[in-house]
Amino acid sequence: MSHRGRRLSTIAALAAGVASCVFAVGLATAPELLVRVEGDYLHISAPHLNFISGKTLERLKDGASVAFIGQLTVTTTPNAIIPEARSVARFALSYDIWEERFSITKMGEKPDSRRSVSHLSAQAAQNWCLDNLAIDRSLVPADKLVYVQLDLRVEDPRDPVGIVGEPGINITRLIEIFSRPAKSAQPPMVLRNGPFRVADLRRVPG
Amino acid sequence: MSVSPIAALPLLLLTASTLPAGQSLLHDIAEANVNQRYTIESVSIAGVHVEDAKIPGHLRRRLNALIGEHCDAAELADLATELRKELHLKEVTQRLSRGSQPGSIQVNFEVVRKEADFDISVPRFLYRSQQGFTGEMDAGAQLRQNNNFSFSILSNGDNLTERFTGIAARYEDESVGTDKLRFGIAFEDYHEQWSAATQVAAESVPGFDLYRTRRNIAPHLTLVVAKALTVSAGTSFEQMDPENPGAGLRSANALTTDAQYGSKIGSDAVEKTVDASYSLRVGMRGLGSDYSYARHVVTVRYEVKSGRQMASEEIMGGTIAGNAPSFERFVLGTSSTLRGWDRYSLDPLGGTRVVHNSLTYGYRVRGGTAQIFYDCGALWDAERTAQLRHSVGVGYRQGVFVLTMALPVSMEGHITPVFMAGMNY
Repeated sequence: MSHRGRRLSTIAALAAGVASCVFAVGLATAPELLVRVEGDYLHISAPHLNFISGKTLERLKDGASVAFIGQLTVTTTPNAIIPEARSVARFALSYDIWEERFSITKMGEKPDSRRSVSHLSAQAAQNWCLDNLAIDRSLVPADKLVYVQLDLRVEDPRDPVGIVGEPGINITRLIEIFSRPAKSAQPPMVLRNGPFRVADLRRVPG
Repeated sequence: MSVSPIAALPLLLLTASTLPAGQSLLHDIAEANVNQRYTIESVSIAGVHVEDAKIPGHLRRRLNALIGEHCDAAELADLATELRKELHLKEVTQRLSRGSQPGSIQVNFEVVRKEADFDISVPRFLYRSQQGFTGEMDAGAQLRQNNNFSFSILSNGDNLTERFTGIAARYEDESVGTDKLRFGIAFEDYHEQWSAATQVAAESVPGFDLYRTRRNIAPHLTLVVAKALTVSAGTSFEQMDPENPGAGLRSANALTTDAQYGSKIGSDAVEKTVDASYSLRVGMRGLGSDYSYARHVVTVRYEVKSGRQMASEEIMGGTIAGNAPSFERFVLGTSSTLRGWDRYSLDPLGGTRVVHNSLTYGYRVRGGTAQIFYDCGALWDAERTAQLRHSVGVGYRQGVFVLTMALPVSMEGHITPVFMAGMNY
C-alpha cells in the first residue's frame, strides 16, 4: 500500500471511531420516557426532554404564538401503525414579554373544551403539555406487553398560503422549499418506552 | 432522543383527521397569545415607523389603527400576510418587544426580501371529461413597485367554441399618478383548434369565419371609483388569420368598457357577498374593424354564508348586436354554465343571446365544502327561438381545488355525466 493509501486508511479509521463515539454518547444521553399510572390514566414524563429551545424559543421570545402537536400512543408491537390507544392534542404556547413566563392553551375541538395555564417556567410548561397527553387506562390491555411512544412536532402557523392559494400553485415557492435544507424546520421528536405490562407500572394516587 | 421522520408520519396522518386545521386554527392559535392583554405603543416595518414606511395607504391606515389598542395577534398575522403580498416580499414576521411603559408593547414587522422578484405559477387548471385539459402557466416579475409584468402560456378549451392555445403578455402599472388610476396593456397570440361539429356547422352558414390564429393588443385604463367599484375603458385590436388563406387578414377592433362591483357585508353569524359586472365591447369600422357589433354582458352573483352552510345565486345575461367574430359569441356548457351539457350539442357555433342562472348550496364538511347545484340557461340567435335547458350536479371544493359531476336534465337520448376536476374554477 502506498504512503497516500495508508494515510487515507488511517483517516477513515479515525473518522469511524469518532462517529461510533458520537453515536454511543447520543444513545447514552437520549431522554427517557417515563410512564406511570395516576388514577384511571396512564401519564408520562420526560425529565431530560427540552422542546422549548432553539428557534422555537426565539420565536416565543419575539412574542409569537407557537403550536405543538403531541401524540401519545400505546401499541402491542414496536412499529404498529394502528395503536391500541392514543391521545392527541394541540398546544398553543406563548411567552409573556413583560413577565417572562410561558402560557399554554390546549386547543380542543370545541371552544369550551380548551384549557389554559399561565405564569409557567419553560420546564413547567413542558411538563404541563406532557401531563395533558394522558391515556385512559381501561383502553390499554393490562395483561399484554405494550410499547408507549410520544411524538411531538412544532407546527409553523405563519402564513401557510405559500405554495397553493388563491393565485394558484406557486412554482417558484415550490422550488424554493424543495431546494432548501431541512434544517429550518424543527424535526419531530420521538420518545419510546417498552415493552412492559401496565400492571407492573408505578402507581401514583390520582 | 431519536429523530425519525418515518416514525412521525402516523402522527401527521392521524392528527390531520382528528384535529381542526386551516385558517380558523391559525386564528385560534393567535388568539391564545398571552401578550394580547398589552397595549400597542408603536408599529414599525423593518424598523421604520409606519408613518415613514413606503406602503399602500390602506395598509398604513390598518397599521396605524393598531396603536393604542390591545394587541390582536390574529390581526397582526393577517397584516403580516397582507404586507408580504402587497410588497412582494419573501417573508414578513411580526416581532413584539417591551414598550416604554409597563404593559405597553412595540410591534415591528421584520421583512425578508426576495432574492429576485420573479414568480412562476400555475394559476388554474381544469380537466373536463368532454373537452380535455385547460391550463395556464404564468411567469411574473415586478419591475418597480406597482409595475408588474407577466408572461403566460395557456391552452383553453373551456371558454369559447374553439380551443385557443398560445401566449399572453401583460404589463400593469397599478398607480398612474394616483393609487386610483391604473394602466394595463395585454398582448395575446393564439392558435385556434375547431371541433368537427363547429367546422361542419360553419360551412352551412354563409359568411361565418373560422380562423387559424388571432393576435390581440389591448391597452386599458382602470379607475378605482370606490373601494367596491372599478371602471375601466380601453381598446382591443384583434387580428385573425382565416382558415382560407385567400381571404386575407381580418380585424376585429373594438372599444371596451368594464364596470366591476364587489361588496362584502359580514356579521358574526352571516356573511353576504355581492359581485356584479357589466362589460361592453363595440367593434367599429372607424377603428379599422371588419366587424361592426356591440356586445353587452351583465353578471350578478349573490352569496350568503352562515356557519357551515353557504348558498349562492349567479345570473348572467348577454346580447350581441351586429356581426361579431366567433370569439365574441356566447357559449354555454362550460365549467361554470350548464355544466352537465356538451357545448356542441347546444350550439356548435355559440350564440348571440344568452341567459343563465346557477343556484348552489354548500355544506362545510371538515376542511372542504360539499356542494349541490342547479344550472339553467338558454343560448340562441335572432333567427332562432330560445330553448331553456337544465343541469344538476354535485361537487366538492377544498380550498382552490374542486371536483364536480354534472348531469344534463333531458328527455332526449341517453344521459352522459360530465366530470370536472380543477383548481380556481
